Amino acid sequence: MASFDVMPDMQLYQPAELDDALELADRHGKQGWLLGGGQDTYGWLKDRAKNPQAMIDLNGIEALKGVRETGDGVEIGAATTLRDIIRNPLLNDQFSLLTAAAGRVASPQIRNVGTLGGNLVQDTRCWYYRRGLSCYRAGGNLCYADSPQGMNREHSLFEASRCVAVSPSDTATAMVALDATMVIQSVNGERTVSAAKFFVGPATHITQMTSLETGEILTAIRLPKKWAGKHFYFEKVADRDVWDFALVSIAVAMDLSDGAIQDSRFVCGGVAAVPYRLRGVENAARGKSLGPDSGDTLAALATKGAEPLNYNHFKMPLMENLVRRAMRG
Amino acid sequence: MMDIATFKNDVWGREVLLGVSWDLLWVILIAAFLFVAVHALYMAARKKDRSPSADGPRVSRHSGVDRIFHWVMAGSVFVLLITGIFPIIGIEFNWLTIHWIAGIVLTVVILFHIVRALFWKQLKSMWFSGRDLKEPFDSSIKPGKYSVAQKAMHLGVTVLTLAVIASGLVLFAMIDTPWWDRTNALEESTLGWMFFLHGLSTLLLVGMICLHIYFGVRPEKLFYLRSMIKGWVSKDELEANHDASRWSPDESG
Amino acid sequence: MSDYKHIGKDFTPPDIMGKVTGKAKYAEDFRADGMVYARLYTSPMAHGKVTNIDTSAAENMPGVIGILTADDVPVMEAPNAAILTNTPVYVGDPILAVAAEDETTAENALAAIKVTIEPMPFAVDPLDSLAEGGPDAREEGNVYVRSREGSGFRKVKWTEEQITEFRAGHEPTGEFADEWSYGDVDKGFADAAVVFEEPFVTVGYAHMSMEPRTAMAYWENGKCYIYGSAQSQSFWMPGLARLLEVEMKDVVLVSEHTGGGFGSKIGAYPMAALPGWFSKKIGRPVQLRITREQEYYVGSARVGFQGWMKVGFAADGRMTAADMFIIEDIGPNATGGDGSSAAGAVSMVYDPLSMRFRGLPVLTNTTPRGAQRGPGQNQIAAVMAPIMDRAARELKMDRVALRKVNAANNDTTVSEDQHAVTSAYMKEALEMGAEMFDWDGKNAKPRKNGSKVRGIGVGQGYHSAGAKGFDGLVRITPDGKIHLHSGVGNLGTYSYASTTRAAAEVLKCEWEDCVIHHGSTEANLPWSSYQAGSNTTFTHQRANYVAAMDVVDKLKQIAAATLGGNADDYDIDGQRVFLASNAASGMSYAEAAAKAITMGGAYSGEEFPDDIHEITQRSVQNLAGTGLIGAAKDNLHQEGTIPGLAVAYAEIELDLETGKYEILDYVGIAECGKVVHPQGLAAQMRGGAVWGMGMAALERHVYDPQNGLPANVGYHQCRIPTYLDTPSHIKTGAVDIPDPQSPFGARGIGEPAMGCAVAALTSAIADALDGHSFSRTPVSPDMILNYVAGREQSFKPLQTNNF
Repeated sequence: MASFDVMPDMQLYQPAELDDALELADRHGKQGWLLGGGQDTYGWLKDRAKNPQAMIDLNGIEALKGVRETGDGVEIGAATTLRDIIRNPLLNDQFSLLTAAAGRVASPQIRNVGTLGGNLVQDTRCWYYRRGLSCYRAGGNLCYADSPQGMNREHSLFEASRCVAVSPSDTATAMVALDATMVIQSVNGERTVSAAKFFVGPATHITQMTSLETGEILTAIRLPKKWAGKHFYFEKVADRDVWDFALVSIAVAMDLSDGAIQDSRFVCGGVAAVPYRLRGVENAARGKSLGPDSGDTLAALATKGAEPLNYNHFKMPLMENLVRRAMRG
Repeated sequence: MMDIATFKNDVWGREVLLGVSWDLLWVILIAAFLFVAVHALYMAARKKDRSPSADGPRVSRHSGVDRIFHWVMAGSVFVLLITGIFPIIGIEFNWLTIHWIAGIVLTVVILFHIVRALFWKQLKSMWFSGRDLKEPFDSSIKPGKYSVAQKAMHLGVTVLTLAVIASGLVLFAMIDTPWWDRTNALEESTLGWMFFLHGLSTLLLVGMICLHIYFGVRPEKLFYLRSMIKGWVSKDELEANHDASRWSPDESG
Repeated sequence: MSDYKHIGKDFTPPDIMGKVTGKAKYAEDFRADGMVYARLYTSPMAHGKVTNIDTSAAENMPGVIGILTADDVPVMEAPNAAILTNTPVYVGDPILAVAAEDETTAENALAAIKVTIEPMPFAVDPLDSLAEGGPDAREEGNVYVRSREGSGFRKVKWTEEQITEFRAGHEPTGEFADEWSYGDVDKGFADAAVVFEEPFVTVGYAHMSMEPRTAMAYWENGKCYIYGSAQSQSFWMPGLARLLEVEMKDVVLVSEHTGGGFGSKIGAYPMAALPGWFSKKIGRPVQLRITREQEYYVGSARVGFQGWMKVGFAADGRMTAADMFIIEDIGPNATGGDGSSAAGAVSMVYDPLSMRFRGLPVLTNTTPRGAQRGPGQNQIAAVMAPIMDRAARELKMDRVALRKVNAANNDTTVSEDQHAVTSAYMKEALEMGAEMFDWDGKNAKPRKNGSKVRGIGVGQGYHSAGAKGFDGLVRITPDGKIHLHSGVGNLGTYSYASTTRAAAEVLKCEWEDCVIHHGSTEANLPWSSYQAGSNTTFTHQRANYVAAMDVVDKLKQIAAATLGGNADDYDIDGQRVFLASNAASGMSYAEAAAKAITMGGAYSGEEFPDDIHEITQRSVQNLAGTGLIGAAKDNLHQEGTIPGLAVAYAEIELDLETGKYEILDYVGIAECGKVVHPQGLAAQMRGGAVWGMGMAALERHVYDPQNGLPANVGYHQCRIPTYLDTPSHIKTGAVDIPDPQSPFGARGIGEPAMGCAVAALTSAIADALDGHSFSRTPVSPDMILNYVAGREQSFKPLQTNNF
C-alpha cells in the first residue's frame, strides 16, 4: 500500500476572468478540478485519491467574490471566503443564520482561506471513502460503512441508498433553510437551482454531492428577501469545538408573527447525504409559538423515518434535542 | 481495444473485477441496428412470399395465462432495463427500489412460467429436434408451434434471464431492503463477478430484445405479435408458417 | 525557600529561539550531498504473506535510484518489529522502500509497485481472538508472555461462557498469564464495608507525535551517520548499532530537536535504521520521510485494556483489597506491560491493604503498541477515579477525604514485594489542589442549570519517576566556559537542559558561561538514561551532580597542586577556586582548566574511571586535553520506588442535550519533589492536562473489524483536543518538598501530569451524571446522549472499537 503526501504534477490554470474559467472547465471536463480555498482539495490530491490533470484556480476571479445587495435580496460570490462572510455587516444583519453557520466551519485558519462555494460543494467525510477505497461513491460496487461491522458512527440516518455518507457542510444547512438559489454557469450559459435541489443524495447521484455537472461552476448564491431578518437558530454539535464536522447540526429559519410561526424551515446537517429538511416538524410548527411545550411536540417528529446504522442512533435524541433548543428561541 | 470488463481495487488494494464495461452497450446497440438494417434490406429486396390472410377460421396459439405471463415479463424487463441502464448512461433518477421490485416481479413470473412449463405445458414444443436444424435450409420443412429461430430466441432469453436473475438475487442481498440489512459477506472479487454477470447478461438481453422486437413487428411476422396480444392465429397463417402435423392447436372462432 | 542559584529558577533553554524562529533543525531538515528521497510501501492488509513483488515498472522510471526489500535488511525474530517484512502483521507494516532523486518521483514509483499478498486471519479486538475458533494475530499464537523465566508465544482461548460472563461484568475465569499479589485479598474483601466490581475498557490510541519519524543516513569512513527523530540521545546508541549491525563506535546519531515522542521514540526504532541499510545498498545518502498516515502505522499506539476491577473499602474509607484482571492489547509486536504497571499504580496511589493482579497480553493485528505517557498508570487512573467516587458516596464521605485516607506517603509500600518509596506527599497535593480549586465551595454549589449539569472531579496520577547509574560529563575549558555535556534527548521537555542546571548549581557558576552540548554523538555526550518513564529529571540531576562534584574535586586538587596546601582547604565560588581561609589566594576556573591540560591524567581526561559507560569513555577520550574534565557514574545511594505524583481537579458543565461538556476550571498539582524549572513544570502540567482531556473524551483508535482497516490515518479522525476543547486557563501548582534521594530533591512528573487529568475528568463526568460511570475511555458525546436518553449503547460491553 502506497501512502502519499506529495501532489502529482498537474497543470495549474489561474484565470482572472470567469469566461476563461468556464472555458477551461469545459475543455478539461472530468480531468479538470476547480480550486477554491483548497481545504477539501489538497487532502484529496496529496493523498492521490483523486487525480485530476488540470487545476483551475478560481481565486483570482474578482467577479466570484463579495457580497452584493440585489433587488430581491443578497447575492454572494462563491469564492468569497468564509471569514469575509462572517464579518459582513449586511449578512450579519439580515442573514445571521448563514454567518452563524459559517462561523462554525472548521477552524479560523481554514475559514480564512476556505470559500463559501467550496464549503457548499465539499465532498463527504466518510472515512472509508476518504481513504480512497473504491466504494459506491468512488464508482465502485459496495459500501464499506453500511455493513454488519461497519464503523459508521458519523454516517446517515435518512434517505441512504447504498451509500450512507452524510453532508458535512455547515453552510449548506443554512442555505437550504434560507431557501437560497444557486447560480451555476457553464460555457452554455447560466442556470439557477434552489439549494434544496442543488444538494443531491445517493439514490439519484451516488458519486456526487451536488447537481453541479462537469464543466459547471457555482458562481454565486442568492439569498431571497423572504427570510431576511427572520428568527434564526443555528447549532452544531461536533466531537470537538473547533476543526471538526457536525455529528448533527441544525439551521432553522422561522417567520414569526405575533409570536406564532407562520412559516418555518428546519434543516439538519450530518444526518443525510443532503441537508435534511424536517418537513414533519415544519408542518406541525405552523401556528405554534416558541416554548418548551411546542419544542417537545416538534422534537418527537424530528426523527420520523430515521434508519440508524450500527453506531449512529445517538443522532436521533440529538436531533430531537436540537429541535427543542431551536424552539426555545 | 474495447474492454469488456472494468476493474477496481478491493479494500486491500488487490485488483478485482468491478463489472461489465458499459461501453459495450453502444457496441450491442450498433450491432443490433446493423443486423436489423441488413436484414430489413435483404427482406425488402427479396421476392415476397404470399402473405397469409388473417381472415377465416382461427386457432388458438397462446393461452390467456401465457399472454399475461409474456407481457408481465416484458413489462418488468423493460422497467429493469430502464432503471438499470438509464442512470449509467447519465439519466439519473431514484432507480434502485423500482429496479428491485421489478426484479422480484420478473423472478416470480419466471418461476411461475418454469413450473407451469415443466408440469402443464408441452415442454417439447419449445425444445430443439434434429429436424429443426434442417429447417432453415429447406423451405419445405415447416416448424411445429415454434420455429427454430423462435426456439433459439427463447433459449437465449432463458439463459440470459436466468443469469440476470441469479446474479440479481445475489446483488439484492447486498443492499438494504425492508426485510434485511445489507451484508458485505461476498468477497469483493466474487461481487465483481456477480456485477459482471449481471451486466453482461443485461447487455446481451438488450441485443436479444432488440431483435425480438424487430421480428415481432416485421410485417410477415406481425401476426405473432397479434397472437401474443389476442391469442389466435388464422388457419391460413398457421398453414403458411407451421406444420400442423407437429402442432395441433385447438380450433376456435 | 531555598537559596539555590539555578535550581527552582526559570531559565531559557538554548533551543527556544530556534523553535520560535524556525531555525531549529529537525530530522527532515538535514540534507547531504547526493541525498535521495525514500518512501515506504506498507501492507494494505492486517495480516498476510507477500508472495510476489513486482517493482519493474518503478525501477524503469527516470529518477528512481533503488528499491530496498526485506531481503536487504536483517531479519527480526518474531514478535519484534521488522525493518521491512514479507509477513506483514498489521495494516501499514513496511514491506519495501523506494528511493528516487526527488519526492514526487519516489511517490510516482510507489504507485507503480505491485505487491501480491496472500491474506491471513487477523484480529483487531483481543476478545475476538480469545474466543474459541477466533483468529490469531500471528501464526505462532495469540498471546505473548514476557517473563524472567522466559518469553514466548502461547495460544489461549476462552470458552464462550467465559467471554460472555466477562462481558457481563463478572470476574474473568479464563486462562491468564501474569499474576502477582500481596496481603490476604480474601480477608481484605471480608473486612470491607463496601465492595464494588466492574468491567472496564480503555481504548488505545496513537502517540500523535507532531514530527513523523523521519531519518536520513549516509556512510563515511565506515561510520554510519543517522539524522533521526529520537526521544533519547545516548540511550539510542546500542539499539541503533544493533539494528545497523555495526559496533556502537561506528554510529553517529544526530537528533538536535524532536517533535514529540511520548514513548514512541524511546529507543532506536527500525525506521531509523532503514535509511542506513538503504544508503549502504545504493551508496548515496538516503532520507526516509514517512507520511503522517504512516506515522499512525509505524508510530505506535497506547495499549488498550479490557479489564475487571474489584475493590473493597472499610467503613473509614481505607481500601482493604483490590483485585484486578487486565487483558492487554499488545498489538502485533507484543509490546506492552501496561497491565502490571497499572496494578503497580493502584498499589501506590490507593495503597490497598491487599491486592492481586492477573493479566493476559493478547496480540492483535493493529498498530504496534508502545509505552505511551503513563503506560498503564494513566489508563487505570481513569478507571479508578469513578470507583473511588462511588465508594465515597456509599460511605457518605467527601471524595477528597476518601482519597486522603488512602494517600501515598513516606511510609507507603508498593507492589508485590511491598518495597519502600523515596518520599511521597499525595495528601499534601490533594489539600493544595482542593484549596486552589475551592473544592468545598464548588461541591456546595447547585449542579443543575437548565439542560446543563455541573460536575466536579478529582484525579490522581502516578508514575515511577527516576533511575540511577548513568554518567555525567562536565568540562571547563581555558576560556572559562563550562561545558555541560548532556546525553539526554531533546524531546520537547527541555530536560536535556534543565538537568544540567544541577552541574551549574554545584559549580556555582553563571548560566551565561555554560555551554550545553547535546543532540549529536559528535558533541561527545555521556551515557544517559532513556527519556521516558518521567525519569530524566531525577536521574540526570544525579548524573550531572556527580560529574560536577568530580570537577569540584579536581579544581581543588589543581589549586592545591598549584598554590599549595590540601585540596580540602579550598572552596569554590564566582567561578574561582580559592583558599577558604584566604579568598585572594586562588585561581579562576579558566586558569584551572589550562592547568588541568598541563597536568594531564584524570584532570584533562587522559584517564577516566573504569565504571563509566563505553559511550562516555569514548567522549572523554575525544575531549581529552581540551580542559578540565569531570566524568563520573552516578553511584549515589538509591533504593525504593521514586514516585512522580500528581493531583488534578476539574469542573465541567455537561449539556445533557448535546452530550458535550465544557471544562470550566482545572487545577493540576505536581508532587515531584523540589521544583527544578517552574516554567517547564507548568508546561508539563498543562500539556499533561490536555493529553488527559483528550484521553477522557476524544482520542480514539478505530478499526473496521471486517477488513482490519484503521480509520485513524490523520489528525482529524484521531480527534486530538483543540484549543477550544481545553480550558483557556489551566492552573498549576507544586507541593515542592525535596526528595531525599536526589541531590537537589527533584523527581519526574511528565506522565502523572496526564493521569491525574484523565482521572479528574472521568470523575467529573460521573459526578455530572449522578454517579453513572461508563467505565471506559474515551467517553464521547454519543455515549452520554444514549445514556441520558435511556438508549442502549451502540457497542457491545467491553468492545474496543466503538468509534
